[in-house]
Amino acid sequence: MTFRRALLCSIVVSSVAVFLAAIARGNGPLPGVEISAGPAQMSAAAIDELKAKFRRPAAIPFPKSNPFDEKKKDLGRTLFFDPRLSVTGTVSCASCHNPNLAWSDGLERGVGVTGIPLPRRTPGIVDAAWLTALMWDGRADTLEQQAALPITAEHEMGMPLDVLTKRLNEIDGYKTLFEAVFPGKEINATTAIAALATYERSLVSNKSSFDRWIDGDELAIAPAARRGFVVFNTTGRCNKCHSGWRFTDDSFHDIGLRSEDIGRGKFAPPSVTIMKHAFKTPSLRNARISGPYMHDGSIKTMEEVLDHYEKGGKLRPSLSPEMKPVKLSRQEKDDLVAFLETLIGPPLAEKSPELP
Amino acid sequence: MRVIRTLIIACVVVLSCGPAYSAEHTLVMHHMELEEVTAPVRAGDVIIFDNRSDMTHNLYVIYSDGTVDNLDTQVPGMQRKLTLRVAGPAVIKCWIHPIIRLEMEIGSQDTPPAP
Repeated sequence: MTFRRALLCSIVVSSVAVFLAAIARGNGPLPGVEISAGPAQMSAAAIDELKAKFRRPAAIPFPKSNPFDEKKKDLGRTLFFDPRLSVTGTVSCASCHNPNLAWSDGLERGVGVTGIPLPRRTPGIVDAAWLTALMWDGRADTLEQQAALPITAEHEMGMPLDVLTKRLNEIDGYKTLFEAVFPGKEINATTAIAALATYERSLVSNKSSFDRWIDGDELAIAPAARRGFVVFNTTGRCNKCHSGWRFTDDSFHDIGLRSEDIGRGKFAPPSVTIMKHAFKTPSLRNARISGPYMHDGSIKTMEEVLDHYEKGGKLRPSLSPEMKPVKLSRQEKDDLVAFLETLIGPPLAEKSPELP
Repeated sequence: MRVIRTLIIACVVVLSCGPAYSAEHTLVMHHMELEEVTAPVRAGDVIIFDNRSDMTHNLYVIYSDGTVDNLDTQVPGMQRKLTLRVAGPAVIKCWIHPIIRLEMEIGSQDTPPAP
């Protein structure tokens, strides 16, 4: 064997060894090939087909009744961060939907002007422009309807809308801001809420590594996360409710928590069993950093969330038929968590504005 | 003879008092969409709601007079029947998935079927 041939052989052998070692370390197979995640398997073609369902939309849907306007958005931002919208002047929308806490508050249950814990956890509001039902129980159809609810709720901001109108009219700086957006119109709750809703619609999650993977960058997420994506959509059954690019079906399910709160059941006839204890599926974007979890904040960590779904929830007539116990290996759970971490995007660059 | 004549008259009366026309239609559910029923529907017609999606639905019909018929839970593959009660515009929605919505015009029971 010549020296050159020996060198070539050693290069080939060491390359194969490095490749095998990479797989053994968990770097996994090369992109574009079949992914096997324990019992869950999916061909490359099936994964490509599935990925199409998670593509982000091109534009924010603003309603014709409240079209986008840059100045309206800016006014909405100012109102959103202004504690004078609450009866005590101490709680703003941003107090509970805090940009530094994934637009929630990190609490099990929210706290408003009275200091009494609210019945439910504060949901995040990013990507709210696409919501078709708002609030945990879906009692608002639009952001315009929704925005008035926490402002007027006794234990949230406790502000009657007529008092809100009077207070905003007393602040000179708001006269200029409202006139620029709504020329000739009076300052009232309707115009204030239109601005708030426009601002909320403008809060769109930044692209995460998952989105880059969906866009075609095969190396944007690690093999463990790619395996987690397969588990998510197969044996884990997560996609039964957490579907689409926002990872929610915007629908209502009883997932078998111990809470006595009947949720959407309050708005359905008693004969509609399936709506008892049903709550809206929350988005999973940024979920890893926005615990505690569930509508009542009863689950502290994502690992416990997975345990809950593995057990299948409390058996009762209203339990969603989509809730079925699943058996996940340690590896599959780790892969799922790795996948969920790819849904964390850079935070929105929103700062508290100067108040008038 | 008189008895037979009375029976014939009774039969004619009973038949003429029943629904003038009634038909059966199938409404298919695909994922989060309801396939429109193409033929005109009338009060008294029966709709077969056929869940061919991969998810559970719970549809309900809101009639023009504000009354509601609830279809109860339908797992994938299940069919449920409903006789339409009230003529006028109606909306079919799903309790679980509020995004599902189908508007329908229910004709009067006396309206003859389309040719």
